[in-house]
Amino acid sequence: MEKQNRRQFLRLAIRGTLFGGLALITGDLLFRKGGSLFNNNIMSGPTVWQLDPSKCIQCGRCATNCVKTPSAVKCTHAFSMCGYCNLCSGYFKPGTKNLDTGAEKQVCPVNAIKRSYVEDPFFEYTIDESLCIGCGKCVKGCGAFGNGSLQLQVRHPLCDNCNECSIARNCPAGAFSRVPASDPYLLKGFGKDRV
Amino acid sequence: MKKLIPDIILIKFLRRMSMISGFFSLLFCALICITFLQLKRTDPLHTPVSTLLQEKLIQYPSSPNLIQEIRQIDLLARKAYFTSEWQIRTGSYLLLASLLILIICLKSIELITPRIPSIQVSEQGELWNMRKVQFRWVLIAGIALVSISLTLAFFTHRMLNGIPNEGNVPELFSRSRDSLQINPVAQSPAASIISDTSRNKLRSDSGKPGGDDEYPTQQEIRLNFPSFRGPDGNGIAFQKNTPVSWDGASGKNVLWKKEIPLPGYNSPILWNDRIFLSGSNENKREVYCLDAANGKILWSADLSKIKGSPSQNPKVTAETGFAASTLTTDGIRIYAIFANGDLSALDFNGGIIWTKNLGLPNNHYGHSSSLIMYHDLLIIQYDQSGSGKVMALAGRTGDKKWETSRNVKVSWSSPVLVNTGYRTELLLSAEPYVASYDPATGKELWKLDCISGEVGPSVAYANGKVFSVNEYSKLAAISLGSIPTLAWEDNEYLSDVPSPVAVKDLLFVVTSYGVVVCYDAITGKKHWFKELDKPVYSSPIIADGKIYILDKQGTMHIFQADKTLAMVAESSLGEGSVCTPAFGNGRIYLRGNRHLFCIKK
Amino acid sequence: MIFLLIIVFLPGVMAIQRFPKPEFESGYVVPVNQLPVQRGEILAWLDVAVLLIALSLVTYLVLKRRSRMGVFCISLFSIAYFGFYRQGCVCSIGAIQNVSMALFSGNYTVPLTVLAFFLTPLIFTLLFGRTFCAAVCPFGAFQDLIALKPLRMGAWLNAFLGIIPYLYLGLAILYAATATEFLICRYDPFVGIFRLNASFGMFLFVGLLMLTGVFIARPYCRFLCPYGVLLNWMSRFSWKHMNITPAECIQCRLCENACPYDAIEYPQVKKNPAGHRKQVNKMVVLILLLPIFIFGGVWTGGKIHRTLAGVNSRVRLAHILQPAHTTNNQPEIPEITAFRGSGITQQDLIREVTRIEHDFLIGSRIFGGFIGLVFGLTLIRLIITPYRTDYVPNKGTCFSCAKCMDYCPVVKD
Repeated sequence: MEKQNRRQFLRLAIRGTLFGGLALITGDLLFRKGGSLFNNNIMSGPTVWQLDPSKCIQCGRCATNCVKTPSAVKCTHAFSMCGYCNLCSGYFKPGTKNLDTGAEKQVCPVNAIKRSYVEDPFFEYTIDESLCIGCGKCVKGCGAFGNGSLQLQVRHPLCDNCNECSIARNCPAGAFSRVPASDPYLLKGFGKDRV
Repeated sequence: MKKLIPDIILIKFLRRMSMISGFFSLLFCALICITFLQLKRTDPLHTPVSTLLQEKLIQYPSSPNLIQEIRQIDLLARKAYFTSEWQIRTGSYLLLASLLILIICLKSIELITPRIPSIQVSEQGELWNMRKVQFRWVLIAGIALVSISLTLAFFTHRMLNGIPNEGNVPELFSRSRDSLQINPVAQSPAASIISDTSRNKLRSDSGKPGGDDEYPTQQEIRLNFPSFRGPDGNGIAFQKNTPVSWDGASGKNVLWKKEIPLPGYNSPILWNDRIFLSGSNENKREVYCLDAANGKILWSADLSKIKGSPSQNPKVTAETGFAASTLTTDGIRIYAIFANGDLSALDFNGGIIWTKNLGLPNNHYGHSSSLIMYHDLLIIQYDQSGSGKVMALAGRTGDKKWETSRNVKVSWSSPVLVNTGYRTELLLSAEPYVASYDPATGKELWKLDCISGEVGPSVAYANGKVFSVNEYSKLAAISLGSIPTLAWEDNEYLSDVPSPVAVKDLLFVVTSYGVVVCYDAITGKKHWFKELDKPVYSSPIIADGKIYILDKQGTMHIFQADKTLAMVAESSLGEGSVCTPAFGNGRIYLRGNRHLFCIKK
Repeated sequence: MIFLLIIVFLPGVMAIQRFPKPEFESGYVVPVNQLPVQRGEILAWLDVAVLLIALSLVTYLVLKRRSRMGVFCISLFSIAYFGFYRQGCVCSIGAIQNVSMALFSGNYTVPLTVLAFFLTPLIFTLLFGRTFCAAVCPFGAFQDLIALKPLRMGAWLNAFLGIIPYLYLGLAILYAATATEFLICRYDPFVGIFRLNASFGMFLFVGLLMLTGVFIARPYCRFLCPYGVLLNWMSRFSWKHMNITPAECIQCRLCENACPYDAIEYPQVKKNPAGHRKQVNKMVVLILLLPIFIFGGVWTGGKIHRTLAGVNSRVRLAHILQPAHTTNNQPEIPEITAFRGSGITQQDLIREVTRIEHDFLIGSRIFGGFIGLVFGLTLIRLIITPYRTDYVPNKGTCFSCAKCMDYCPVVKD
């Protein structure tokens, strides 16, 4: 009987220690500076993944590394930044002469950018998200010769918000980061404004 | 209890179902694998045929047959891409469905089939044997683990070269690091976080030597014009689409001009939408902040009476004045230094944060070296007769972080920060040598004797080469590396005031008597030269592929920064100027002898 | 010409105002971007609520009602909800990484819902045994579903493979604590099934695992799951635990083959033929050797810390940039292009990497010491004489799935 009591006491002691360990971890996480409670940090709320277009080098991995097919990263057009150029360097391949919508002139491999006439000499470019694969070719062209209004962004209804984003792990420029779920886009506008 | 369907028939049916669903599962699995492998072999969007046709198109751009062919193939390619995606998606749903049916059937069979628990013949002694065996195998596991780890460690053993402060500078990197790149710091994604709502705020970076305060990223710095001769102090501006033609007298393309109350030869600096300059006479020293959009003077800070300010003014010449050093800013504070050694830090609203006097400089023309920021350190070049030094103060508090003495004569050049890709170097030029320091610690990295006389021009840097020039001395090109060496030198066109500027493989020297020369940076061969026939004191700036040279009478000569001579424009200010232009917001800000001009496109 | 030069040397450009904003005369209005957000935060709390309810229900069904059918139904629900609907993310297993990262690397705050997912199963297990594994964890439930022909495994294999979960746990915590990556998420076999989307390699791995799972029940749970290590500890010292018999065991031996996971411990009344004295000697030797094992682990950890650190992206970048690796002939990989455009110097990178490798040194040593401790304790456990009269489940490894209960003829009155 004594042995039983000793054993039971031992078990209780270890159980208490385990519980205490859990309590310690919880307490530290909740109450430390920058912890989950009593914290003004906007990052203590739920977070989602987003791409920072100012760091992006348009390597094309967004299209292939997303766990979803097609990728949850799509090209987004920041209209407030667009120059509405006739010769859009995100739409046309460099050196294009006749500016029509022929497939051989388009930078986009899946014809996801639609070009439409607004007024002389401005054209509107919109992206069909259902077609865009997130390869970034248009972004590269627009950034190199244009205003940089075409930007890759994670579209949140499509994104599964994985615990660790596979694209983030493979991004060579470290352009992915966690952002607050309440303000989840990093679209860049002119100067310091965002769209 | 009577059952509707006898067990045996049910089991038979379930068995059949499971075989069918099993077969279908295998089928779908195989289909998916095949589609996967197909996709892997040929990406429909980048087939060799389409690449070939594209190349042909470049040769024959208007052949309608070719265009037709390409369009057809493109359509097919796109269809193939989206179809294969659909195939895999549908295939996986079908696979899942058939697997589910399979599992349900098998599980139901298991449920319905009566099982009788069986009793094994087991000896209680077996436990000891089992324990012994388990013990042995755990031991084996442990030994295997250790040996595998050690083998792995041995075979993947690689140390990093270039542990900080070793002399090992990789040669490869002094080559193609071009200063036209703008992207900011990359971070490890797992923990990288944008920590506040206004994401253009400064990011703090603790753990770096030299201080753990906030400072702007390289990208933020390059969007502005925060020091003399640009963000790095080497004459390169990163703005694009810069204005080229204006006329100060008629007001063409002049957005505004504003008279500056006190004169000064320091050049304007820009951060966001604020311009800062200083002015000084015998008795007053002031810093002005103007609104970049309309030129209104938002505030002026009187820095005439600061603690420790010497009672007597230093001896200065008319050509230098009391406010020859250009200000600098880190986006949080503005720093200004005057000829009597008064150094002040102000905030963006004009409030004085700290002041210091560095001692009356022993400088027969007047102290002219401009200020520059490295991270959160304010770098001050303080070369005087008898004791030259360079020091760094913490921007936030003014505390001295490091000071290195220099065995040089008095100079009027300004520091240049250079990111060679391997490390950041602080380059200073004074008689008799060009020296490089680690801006974080002040440690001297190297020096090369190649300059003499009263050094006014600062150095230029591009692609691993540092260029220094002075009249009555020589133009020297220094190749960086573990041991910097003199690559080439020339003494035909020498400048004593304007600093040279270099980009990629071109070096531009502008002499104070008005000659512009373009050298090949690697060989020293002259590509072209042009006599402007006007004296020039302002240092040239390269922006948007053009070099801007402002002569003393206020005419800006703009050339293509290219190896062929091509003048872009000549625009006149209508007022004399010795200051270096500042670029920002698509505008150019020029300080004339009396006014500050804002030029737009 | 200059354009081409720019495009070669400019890897990525931030928005620079080249062309001014157009002024439209025709009344065209610039469209405003639609920026939809993720599912609401309240739904994450709903998941926590469902977790709590499911855990409570399963605990009740296993401990009080002893109903295998009830447990089975809940496991189907878990596969549907936590599996296919929530696609297995964020799961309790992965929450270990979030907690590690929050504890040891600065800058990360663990969301309360993730913390709840980490703690709730642990607390329930500490109180009632591994009822989480029984039916709530979608991975376990899925494996239960496909365990159609479970075979008995040799004890030796069981013991040999049993070290893997500890390694996985240690590595996962190490990599999460250094903010390198989330190892558990990266190599999670089940999430590919639930998303119906995986890389080809993962697809093959999952297929093999599932095929194995038909014959060896719950292979992931027994030999891979890192959370299972923690649950094992909690369950061993749990307050209440399920029993095969509702009342007294009558040693009828009918449950000997009942557990597909070899978690039932048989009665042991005979003494060790090797003798008591020898046993005590062995025990003393092992206890004395325990510090040696720990020290050996610490030493080995220190030896492999650079290899382990090699997974970190910054470390890999620093190694790529070493002169031996960069040649002029190869096309530049995006990492080098991005680094050249980043503005930080190689020296700064090396400083950062030295710091990271130092963190790995400490972490790997702790990891090694931990494995050494586990190793020593396992050996000690295998020496100890158990004395049992009844058939009882092994408190640590029993998944509380209630499959064995139907084999027991004893009826509670």
